[in-house]
Amino acid sequence: MREDLLEKISDYKYRIPKSYKPGMLVDGIIYSNEKLIAGIKRDKALDQVANVAFLPGIVGNSLAMPDIHWGYGFCIGGVAATDPEAGGVISPGGVGYDINCGVRLLKTNLTLGDLKNKLPKIVNTLYQDTPSGVGSTGDIKVSYQEEKKILLNGAKWAVERGFGVREDLEHCEENGTIGGANPDAVSERAYKRGKKQAGTLGSGNHFLEVQVVDNIFDKVVSERLGLRVGQIVIMIHSGSRGLGFQVCDDSIKVMLKCLDKYGINVPDRQLACAPINSPEAKEYIGAMCSAANYAWANRQVLMHLTRLSFEKIFSKSWQSLGMDLIYDLAHNIAKFEECIVNGKKKTLCVHRKGATRALGPGNLQLPSKYKDIGQPVIIPGSMGTGSYLLVGTKKAEAETFGSTCHGAGRVKSRHEAIRTVNLDQLIKELKGKGIEVRATGKSTIVEEAPSAYKDIDQVVDVVESAGLSRKVCRMKPLCVVKG
Amino acid sequence: MEEFEFLEHTADLGLRVKGKTSEDLFNNYAAVLFSLLTDYQPKEIINKKITLQAQSLSELLIDWLNELLSMFFADDFLPKEYSIKITDDKGGKILEAEIKGEEFDFESNPLKREIKAATYHEVKVEENDSEYVGEVIFDV
Repeated sequence: MREDLLEKISDYKYRIPKSYKPGMLVDGIIYSNEKLIAGIKRDKALDQVANVAFLPGIVGNSLAMPDIHWGYGFCIGGVAATDPEAGGVISPGGVGYDINCGVRLLKTNLTLGDLKNKLPKIVNTLYQDTPSGVGSTGDIKVSYQEEKKILLNGAKWAVERGFGVREDLEHCEENGTIGGANPDAVSERAYKRGKKQAGTLGSGNHFLEVQVVDNIFDKVVSERLGLRVGQIVIMIHSGSRGLGFQVCDDSIKVMLKCLDKYGINVPDRQLACAPINSPEAKEYIGAMCSAANYAWANRQVLMHLTRLSFEKIFSKSWQSLGMDLIYDLAHNIAKFEECIVNGKKKTLCVHRKGATRALGPGNLQLPSKYKDIGQPVIIPGSMGTGSYLLVGTKKAEAETFGSTCHGAGRVKSRHEAIRTVNLDQLIKELKGKGIEVRATGKSTIVEEAPSAYKDIDQVVDVVESAGLSRKVCRMKPLCVVKG
Repeated sequence: MEEFEFLEHTADLGLRVKGKTSEDLFNNYAAVLFSLLTDYQPKEIINKKITLQAQSLSELLIDWLNELLSMFFADDFLPKEYSIKITDDKGGKILEAEIKGEEFDFESNPLKREIKAATYHEVKVEENDSEYVGEVIFDV
């Protein structure tokens, strides 16, 4: 985009005025800083923020978080809320193919000392016990009827089948089961793709990591969450696998026809959408929520498998290892949420494409345990660097529909990473830092090299300085399992 | 192996592919796509026929690639040979294809990489004097 049209509002906020492109209904707002914005200008992400501002019924601004990078349709790190009462639309491109791709964090009562000389055994056991890789199929084979129950009940289905306990559900966004799922809106092909892949990690940037807390920023909140320096935690990043990809693909085809039918003008076909109250949108919402539930069930099963692996390694029950779920969040989703607009409460359709919900203290949607501290926000970094645990704020609720960043965000293309990163050298470097990596696809490690990502510390500093989240603690990876 | 070029894209995988005709372009895209997923060489055992309709040639290309990905991941069908016919239809385009291939065993043949879908974002099909050139960004 033309750089002179990007206005700096503050040290952490930039604006693309709606005069930038005829057809923009609102301004674009990007949370960033001097250093990060220079990298963002290099690709087409800012134009994508402007394109999202075309969506009918968009409220406030077209938002982007500091981990923004070029995606397809929406930028990654994009947030847009639309008003169903004002002709607002829902766009499958604002959710993406991996519906409810998300992340969960569980703690243990182990410390770094307990893992001494055990890291290779831990990473090997987790790698063997976790079905991962492209198109990987799991041990959990479900019938069509059973899959329907997964789509309706999400993580609750998994807990009812013995993959976890009831308390796990309280610590998931939407309690791990989003309402509004309509399994009949899911195509036969999506069912087929989902049947084979329940309880599998997947590939690409998905991972399972054993991490150690290496820095505490908020002592009070850390103590409330039961976290201290040197403690071992586990992070799981996965989504709705082929089922979600198929739901998105099926619905974009339908929504492309809606552009003419409802007279909608968007500058990118990938932003195909339909008015929220239309039959086409209702069908998509039913299917999208079904895929979201599948993803929640998937992460619940993956956590269960991780607990079993740890039981095997330490010859103790997972309960006595203190492997409780801290929180589970979606970062590719559209949800109907109560938001504050100009001081008034309104139910809006909040699209988060590579962005995380970040509710502040006192929000009624939070479990009682977290009501006074705010919602835990899990920010995975790249595999060689750190990850963060944050909490949401009231300011996020007021400014960004209760949203914050979701990760480090890429800076280097996969192709460039393959060209510039040497696999053996990278593994050696990670090993030197005390990080054990196992991956099904060797190219995955190279494509996901730390140098392909933005500096996570900078990204998190921006959301904290902008008041969208507060830092609780930082975690460093020890074992990484990738697809 | 058909020639292709990677397009620079920060998060996803962009591919530029060429063909002598639109049918040849579609054929080459399919061959490149599956060469990135697996080295397994399928036999021509199963025959499938499909018909797709889209508003433009570029949209038809995305629908074609996603249809093949769905057939692969949902129906375990790995394509090998394509006989493609593209015609005009009321301002749009119609594709009729006969595809030969083999059932694919995911358990014993790990894939080389993840490709979720072909996207409509910045898709291009351009025709110049001697060839068709396509650009497609895949979500990976």
